[in-house]
Amino acid sequence: MLTAPFSRRSWKAAGYLLVNVPLAVAGFVFAVITAIPPLLAVSAPGVRAFGDANRGLARELLGEDEPDLPPPPGKASWRERGYLVLKLPLAVAGLAVAGVCWLLGLFLLTFPAWWTLLTHALPTGQEELHTCRHGVCTTVPVGSPVPTHNFQFLVSASGLGSVNLAHYPFEVALFGAVLLLTAPWLTRAVTRADQSLMLRLLGPASLADRVRALQETRAHAVDDSAARLRGIERDLHDGTQAQLVALAMKLGLAKEKLSTATPDDLARVTQLVDDAHRGAIEAIGDLRVLARGIHPPVLDNGLTDALATLAARSAVPVELVTDIPDRPSPAIETIAYFSAAELLTNVAKHSGARHVTLEAVHVPGLLRIRVSDDGRGGARLAPRGGLAGLAGRVRTVDGRLIISSPPGGPTVVTVELPSHA
Amino acid sequence: MRIVIAEDAAVIRAGLAEVLADRGHQVVAAVGDAGALQAAVAAHQPDAAVIDVRMPPGYTDEGLRAAIAIRRDHPKTGILVFSQYVETRYAADLLAAGSGGVGYLLKDRVANVAEFTDAIERVAAGGTALDPEVVAGLLNASRHPSALGTLTAREHDILALMAEGRSNSAIAARLRVSDRAVEKHIGNIFSKLGLPRSDTDHRRVLAVLAYLGS
Repeated sequence: MLTAPFSRRSWKAAGYLLVNVPLAVAGFVFAVITAIPPLLAVSAPGVRAFGDANRGLARELLGEDEPDLPPPPGKASWRERGYLVLKLPLAVAGLAVAGVCWLLGLFLLTFPAWWTLLTHALPTGQEELHTCRHGVCTTVPVGSPVPTHNFQFLVSASGLGSVNLAHYPFEVALFGAVLLLTAPWLTRAVTRADQSLMLRLLGPASLADRVRALQETRAHAVDDSAARLRGIERDLHDGTQAQLVALAMKLGLAKEKLSTATPDDLARVTQLVDDAHRGAIEAIGDLRVLARGIHPPVLDNGLTDALATLAARSAVPVELVTDIPDRPSPAIETIAYFSAAELLTNVAKHSGARHVTLEAVHVPGLLRIRVSDDGRGGARLAPRGGLAGLAGRVRTVDGRLIISSPPGGPTVVTVELPSHA
Repeated sequence: MRIVIAEDAAVIRAGLAEVLADRGHQVVAAVGDAGALQAAVAAHQPDAAVIDVRMPPGYTDEGLRAAIAIRRDHPKTGILVFSQYVETRYAADLLAAGSGGVGYLLKDRVANVAEFTDAIERVAAGGTALDPEVVAGLLNASRHPSALGTLTAREHDILALMAEGRSNSAIAARLRVSDRAVEKHIGNIFSKLGLPRSDTDHRRVLAVLAYLGS
């Protein structure tokens, strides 16, 4: 405990409070200036960046005390902006409190030392003292050495009213030592206050909000899953089953004809069997497409191969750029693949583009899929539309969908997913 | 016979037309949804209509409801409804109309050309044609297991074939016995189950089904 003032932690905390102030000033100015409506949306990334800088500083200098906060989903909110505003007074007050503790503590602790130095190093009178005050000089006969008028200020300052501190050097030093020893705890209290503000405003919203968001996305996931299953059943019923029934009818007729076996019927039988054979081949092809729509086997090799296959199949020429050193979890890969497939289909169907770029980049914690085309733009997140469904699906794993599609193009749609659902 | 087909999958529609044509029937119209079906039946007054239960726009039971409407509005047109899965509710709805000329088959059954054409001919003639799977389901779910247990195996088979709507001679041919043997067995069945005697095949079916469903 005695060494606490000199521990690394205390130094780092003190350093934090120092650096905090200029950062807080900058953040405050930014947050307030851009709080007018035209600049609100544009400055959101800046607000988020300041929040990240604050978080990073806290993590670096306050070390193990800092809880690990993921940034809240979505764009920077009013809470984050509010944090930047409130941070300034808190930072200044924190620095002031800590500064007073440390500096005053140091000052008082060393009071006897420099006081003695001053009194001995400076000329003093033994029997008499010439003191000049407010331009009036008087002679004061005193018994103990007192400093000359040059240091009258110091005497008054350390006088604390009518008490002359010079008479109690030991007590003063003790008080200074106590201040110095409590300085780390006071500093910690201040940084705690800062951290708690950070937690409340920069972290995810209250637990209730988070639960609500999870309930919403879960409902979407469940509905989506049920709709997909219905779609598969319909595809099977209308496609494969129908083809097989028709096939069975043809073969049934052929069987009948063969049992009577007159030569006239032979041509007919051949025709029937031929049709049945063709039907079987078509059914196999359709079933292959259907199965691929449920889970493409190439995805087991990883996103890079799977996206290459998608790109090859696209009607519009696709330039593929991938940088996926480690594989995200399989569920994320599946969502990324089907998102890319849907986006490429949209490009082919609606954009009239001549060229498409498909980028897939995986940095630690984040997988980003981006589809850019040079088509006519105007892609909208219409309710119940395809893009809205895609956004919902992406949100169920706490991902984001970002659309930039001014009329006239170009269009850039980005899907961001965490590495693990 | 003149027949209307209502089926939304084009391959099956074509296949059905081919089978019927092969048997010498005339397909006067082949449509893909319930609205077109009603219009075609009104326009052509066919002897029978082959109808898929599931059609656009809702893909639930549009065909079934259209069939019941046709039965009501065009009593001379037999309806043969077929569906992918056995739904006892559909069979019940169809038979609720009370008159003959009604059939309910599984889609799988159309692959057997002889059974399919036999069913449609029965229905056009005012009889009944229930899929054996539907009947088996009804027998299984019957609430008179003890009474049914008094039947011999042969009587059991005959009961099932009766419920499908087959005539005595058809049952005799199927089981390779004489017509008289069949009549004797049927008499036994009816007395064992306490069913009233019926004049037409269709009323017989209704009696049996009513018994099984009660």
